[in-house]
Amino acid sequence: MTDTPDTKYPDRSRPGARRLGIGLIAAALCLGPLAALAQTQIYDARTKKWVDYDKKKARQYFARNNQVPEAFRRQAVPFRTAEKPGTIIIDGNQHFLYLVQPGGQAIRYGIGVGREGFGWAGIVRVGRTAEWPTWTPPAEMVARDPNAAKWAAGMPGGPDNPLGARALYLYEGDQDTIYRIHGTVEPWTIGLDVSSGCIRMNNDDIVDLHSRVEIGAKVIVLMQGAALYKGV
Amino acid sequence: MKGKSKFLPAALAACLAVSAALPAAAADLVIAMPNWPSGQATANILKEGIARKFGLNAEVKELGTLNAFVGFEAGTVDIQPEVWRPNFEDVVRKYVTDKGVGRLTERSVPAWQGLCATPEAAKSIKTVADLSDPEKTKVLDTDGDGKGEMWIGAQTWLSTGIERVRAAGYGYGESLTLFEAEEEVAMAAVDAAVATGRPMVFYCYAPHHVFELHQIIRIDEPPHDAATWKILPPNDPLWVSKSSASTAWEAAHFQIAYATAFGKKHPDVAKFLEKVDFSPEEVTKMSYALEVERQTPADFAKKWAEDNAARIDGWAKP
Repeated sequence: MTDTPDTKYPDRSRPGARRLGIGLIAAALCLGPLAALAQTQIYDARTKKWVDYDKKKARQYFARNNQVPEAFRRQAVPFRTAEKPGTIIIDGNQHFLYLVQPGGQAIRYGIGVGREGFGWAGIVRVGRTAEWPTWTPPAEMVARDPNAAKWAAGMPGGPDNPLGARALYLYEGDQDTIYRIHGTVEPWTIGLDVSSGCIRMNNDDIVDLHSRVEIGAKVIVLMQGAALYKGV
Repeated sequence: MKGKSKFLPAALAACLAVSAALPAAAADLVIAMPNWPSGQATANILKEGIARKFGLNAEVKELGTLNAFVGFEAGTVDIQPEVWRPNFEDVVRKYVTDKGVGRLTERSVPAWQGLCATPEAAKSIKTVADLSDPEKTKVLDTDGDGKGEMWIGAQTWLSTGIERVRAAGYGYGESLTLFEAEEEVAMAAVDAAVATGRPMVFYCYAPHHVFELHQIIRIDEPPHDAATWKILPPNDPLWVSKSSASTAWEAAHFQIAYATAFGKKHPDVAKFLEKVDFSPEEVTKMSYALEVERQTPADFAKKWAEDNAARIDGWAKP
């Protein structure tokens, strides 16, 4: 075998080349019309089986309980990892966001993710955050949707703003990836794959996460799920 | 302003020159430190041991393996703590066999690389043949296309291309989608899979802290057969498609290397290096201490040297 200057098989320090190559293209899809794709399963602790969880069930469950199923509620869970406390790990397949804590624990939050709009995995960081952020619809949406057009210059933050109560802006180096972890006005979509959206959380959860996270925090978006890789 | 702007760079340059000269002037030898945790730990343990037993002050300098061997020849590097083979066979041939500017210690630490499974995956996937069975691998599907996924390494690793060759050779390249991503992404994926009892299969190597962190199962493969491995040099852009491999990786190992000139100047230290005898378990613990417990290499090494003083004494005995 031949080698390059620092090729062992495992050389942990080199940044991956993939990362956010298609991020900017996909970002325009954030917060477009919703369409659940019914891929989610949730674990039923009673029957100890994974059961389908789709848009219809999600709406029904939320209407009955005014909250999402237990799996997607904020909770401390055992989580062994080499990542340091404060790191965010996003598992799009299972719709969980982990905030690593000391002592082999993590706070796990339920998330909604976009199958079409989140086509990458990699390592980014929290570049900045905002409370009650302004939402500016992408130009394509402004062109086709009169409701969005009236906010072409930016929709002020508030309870009707689709970004919800808080937003964490994900950066690669010093560059905004245009991906965000944000709140939502549609809490029942937590746990679903919707055809749009960055990473959405219930407003209570994003407020909680926002209060715990530091600017610069490492964010690892896992390759699982969300049609992340097309195969290379 | 003009005078100031002229003065500052000159002063700065003078300061830099002095500070740059300091470590070299103070150090009796230079130990290359690679960028993986066990190599970082070992570099610092050697520094501690050599200071304790021979009173020599070593500078630990971040350097890749090839640059360390180049440094042996240039006289700027004295020790490299972890030379992986057969990965660096070409470098060893050039600098040890042909040029004779470096030496490898006799002892080596056995290493391994191959495919691994989380406990949930290992229930149905036990051998590499199972990976070619779509019925068995569909549990690895995370993107809803009915086809399982497998991480095969980082884009920059030489081994990743070979894993792609092996996937084609074994046939599971057809039934699985192969991912390349940074190791940190893959290891966090293993963490998440284990935390939720989900199946995952991935490229892995040992010694590695993931085996301390989780219960990871190695997938069985036919033993390495050199006759089934035809790997072209990666300087051919089509080397992956032109290569073939359909058995396990050749058993790997790593050794300490040192500059021949250094060995002549300090034969007692060279003998010491020859006796360093880390086990794979110890190397895994080093990796765990640095990666999971977040100890700095220097702090870890100081503590290790204190706790293992008798061991270091043994290495230094003539």
